[in-house]
Amino acid sequence: MSVSTTTTAIELRTVTKTFGSLTAVDRLDLAIPRGALYGFIGPNGAGKTTAIRMIMSILLPDSGELRVLGARSALEAKDRIGYLPEERGLYRKMKVAPYLTFIARLKGVPERGLKDRVYSAIERIGLEGVENKRCEELSKGMSQKIQILAAIIHEPDLLILDEPFSGLDPVSTRLLKDLILAEHRRGATVLFSTHVMPQAEEICEHVVMIHRGQKVLDDPVRTILRPHDLRALTFEPLDAHIDVSAVRALPEVERCTAVDGRYEVALREGADAASAMGRVLGVVPAARIELKRRSLEDVFVSIVAGPGSNPSGASGGKHVGVA
Amino acid sequence: MNKVWQIAGREFIATVFTKAFVIGLLIMPLIGVLFVLIAPSLFGDRNLKFEGEIAVIDPTGLVMPEVRSAISARRSPAGVTEIVERARAGGADQMVLSVLGAATQLTLVERPASADVEQEKLWLNEPTPAAKHLALVVVHANAVEPSPGTSNLGTYDLYVPPRQDNRVEVAVQGVMREAIIEARVFARDLNRQELTLVTTVPRVRSVTVGADGERNTVSGFNIVIPVVFMGLLIMGVMFAGQGMLTTTVEEKSNRVMEVLLSAVSPMQLMGGKLIAHMGVSLIAMSLYLGLGLVALVSFSLFGLLDLKLILYLLIFYLIAFFTIGSLMMAAGAAVNDMREAQQLMMPLMMTMMLPWMLWWPIVQNPNSTLAVVVSLLPPVSSFGMLLRIASSSPPPLWQVSLSIVLGVAGVFGSVWFAAKVFRVGILTFGKAPNIKTLIAWVRAA
Repeated sequence: MSVSTTTTAIELRTVTKTFGSLTAVDRLDLAIPRGALYGFIGPNGAGKTTAIRMIMSILLPDSGELRVLGARSALEAKDRIGYLPEERGLYRKMKVAPYLTFIARLKGVPERGLKDRVYSAIERIGLEGVENKRCEELSKGMSQKIQILAAIIHEPDLLILDEPFSGLDPVSTRLLKDLILAEHRRGATVLFSTHVMPQAEEICEHVVMIHRGQKVLDDPVRTILRPHDLRALTFEPLDAHIDVSAVRALPEVERCTAVDGRYEVALREGADAASAMGRVLGVVPAARIELKRRSLEDVFVSIVAGPGSNPSGASGGKHVGVA
Repeated sequence: MNKVWQIAGREFIATVFTKAFVIGLLIMPLIGVLFVLIAPSLFGDRNLKFEGEIAVIDPTGLVMPEVRSAISARRSPAGVTEIVERARAGGADQMVLSVLGAATQLTLVERPASADVEQEKLWLNEPTPAAKHLALVVVHANAVEPSPGTSNLGTYDLYVPPRQDNRVEVAVQGVMREAIIEARVFARDLNRQELTLVTTVPRVRSVTVGADGERNTVSGFNIVIPVVFMGLLIMGVMFAGQGMLTTTVEEKSNRVMEVLLSAVSPMQLMGGKLIAHMGVSLIAMSLYLGLGLVALVSFSLFGLLDLKLILYLLIFYLIAFFTIGSLMMAAGAAVNDMREAQQLMMPLMMTMMLPWMLWWPIVQNPNSTLAVVVSLLPPVSSFGMLLRIASSSPPPLWQVSLSIVLGVAGVFGSVWFAAKVFRVGILTFGKAPNIKTLIAWVRAA
C-alpha cells in the first residue's frame, strides 16, 4: 500500500499489537484521506480501541508503520487532533469553563480569545449557565456534551471519537451527530468507532470493519449498501393490516413474508424485478417498494457470525428502487 | 515544556487550594502545640498516691528501724523538703525516686527474722485484704555487715503481686535504699551528713564556645537536630508521594487519564505531576522549617544550627523525592483503587521506615559501617546521609559527594522504571499487578 502523506490523514501499514498471547490488532492496513468521514466498526474486543489508541500514540504498536497528519507519531500532531476516548471522564472538582480552558491550553489554543471560544462552545451545545458549575454537578448527558466539546474545542484537523454515541439519549445523539457533521464540513477528517450501525450508515462516507484484530471490510458506505439481489423486493403497505394473499398469488412471486411492518418478496427464477414491482403495486397500495437493500447491520452480522447467517441473502446486482 | 507546566499548574492549584490541604498542613504544628500545652496535664498524675502495706523480713535487725523511720520521714513535709534539696544537688534519677516515694503512703508490716519466706509470699496474694499488700522485702543477712571472710555487702529480695503499678516498686526500692544506707552508716558510726557532703558534686552547666560567642550548651540538641531534619525529609517525601499516588489513582479511576494522554505524552504528564507535588511538599516543608527556625530564634538557639544543613536538606529532599515519589506515582498508575495501592506501597513504606528504625545507632555512631552503608545506598541514602551530616560527627566531604552522586544515579534508575510502569499502567485496568507483572510492563514499554 502506498499512500501520499499529503493526502492521507491516517495511514497504518501492517500494524500489529499484542497483549501477552492475545493479538489485539493483526497486520492492520488503513488509509484515511484528509477530509473524509470514516466509521470504524467491529464487535466487542475486535481491536478498535487498541487501534485508535495506537493512532493516538497512547499505545505503541509492536510492529508496522503509522503516520498521522503527515507525522510519524500522533505525539507530533497532538494539538491538531481531537480525541474522545471510549472510557471518558472529567475532573470532578473542576468547574466546566476552567476545565475546557485547561484542555484548550493543553491543545495549544492561544490565550487570546480563549475565554470567548470556551463560552461560545458551551453555548453552541445549549449548556449556557454551567460554566461555573463543578463537573461533578453535571448530569451524565451534560458531562458527555462537555467531554465532546473538550475534543473539538481547538478545532482539530483530525477528530477521533471512540464509541461517541454510547449512553446518549436521542436528543444528545442528534446533537452529537450535528457536531460531527459540522466538524466534517469545517474540513476536519473524522474517524469514529461505533456499535450503532444505523448511525454509521447515516453519517459515514466510508466504513472500515475489523474483526479479531484484522480488517474485514474497507468500503464506501454506498457500495456496501448497494442492493445485490434482483430477486428480492421489499415493500411497505399503506395499510398495515392489508391482506397480502393477492401478492402471494402473483405468478412471479415465490413467497411473501412479513418483517417488522414490511413485507419481503422472493421472486421466482427468471422473473423480471421491474415488472414484478409494478404488479405488486397493482394489487397492494404501498408507501414504498424497492429492491431489497443490505443494511450495515446485515453486513456486520454476516461477517461476525459467518456467511451462512447473512440475513439479506444478498449476492450482487444493481439498485432499481421505486419510492 | 509548556504542556508540562500546564499539567503542573492545574495539579498544584487543585491540591493546594483545598480545605484538605490547608487542614493537613496545619494539623501537624497544631498537634505539636497542643502536645506541648496539654500533654503535661494529660499525662502527669499530680494526685498519684499509693496506699498499702509492705512486709519486711530483716535477719540483721538493723535495717528494720531505718525502714520505719524512712517511711515516716517521707510522709512529713520536712522530709519532702529535704528530698527536694538533695535532688537539687544530686541527679534527677534520685529525685524521681524520692518524689515517687513521698507520694506513696506505705505502711510497714514487720515480720520476724525467722519468718518462712515461702509462707510470707502467700500474703502478697491474699484475697480481699483490708489494706493492699504491695510488696514483701527480705533483707539479706549481709546487707549491713559483710559475711565473715568476705568483703561484699548484700542487698534484699523484693517480691510483688502480679499486675502492680511499676511506680510502687520504684517507691519501695527508694525506701529500702535509704534504709539500708542509713543502717550501714549507723553500723560504722559514720556521719551521714558529712558523707553526703563529700559524695555530692553539684551538676554544672556546660558552655558551648562557638566562633560567634558563648552560650549555654543545650543537652540533647545534637541528638534532636538530626532527627528533626530526617523527619522533615520523610514528611516532605511522604506529603508529595501520597499526593501523587492519590491523584494518579483518581485520574485513572474517573477515566480522565486518557483524555489527558490525547493532549500530552505520558512523560509530560508524569513530569507535570512531579513538579506540582514537589512544589506542594516544598511549601509544607518550608512552613515547618520556618516554624522550627522561629522556635530556635525565640529560644535563642538559632546560633547552634549549622545553616548548611538547610542546603543539604534541600539537596537530599530532591534526591529522595524523585526516587521515591516517582515510584509512588508509578504505583498509583498501576492499580485501580487506593486499596490495591496499599499493597504496592508496602515496600516503599518499609524503605521510608528503615531510617526511623536506624536513626539511634546512626546518630550514636555516625561513622560506623552501618551508618556509612545506609548513607550511600539509594533509596535510603538521603535519609541516612542527612542524619550523619546533622550529627555531632559529620562525615567527610567525599562521602557526602559520593552519596549525592549515587543518589542522582538512583533518581535516574527509579524515574526510568516508574516512567515505564506509568506508561503501561495508566491504561491498564483489572487485576492489580505484582512485581513480576511490573517487570513485564517495563520490558514491554
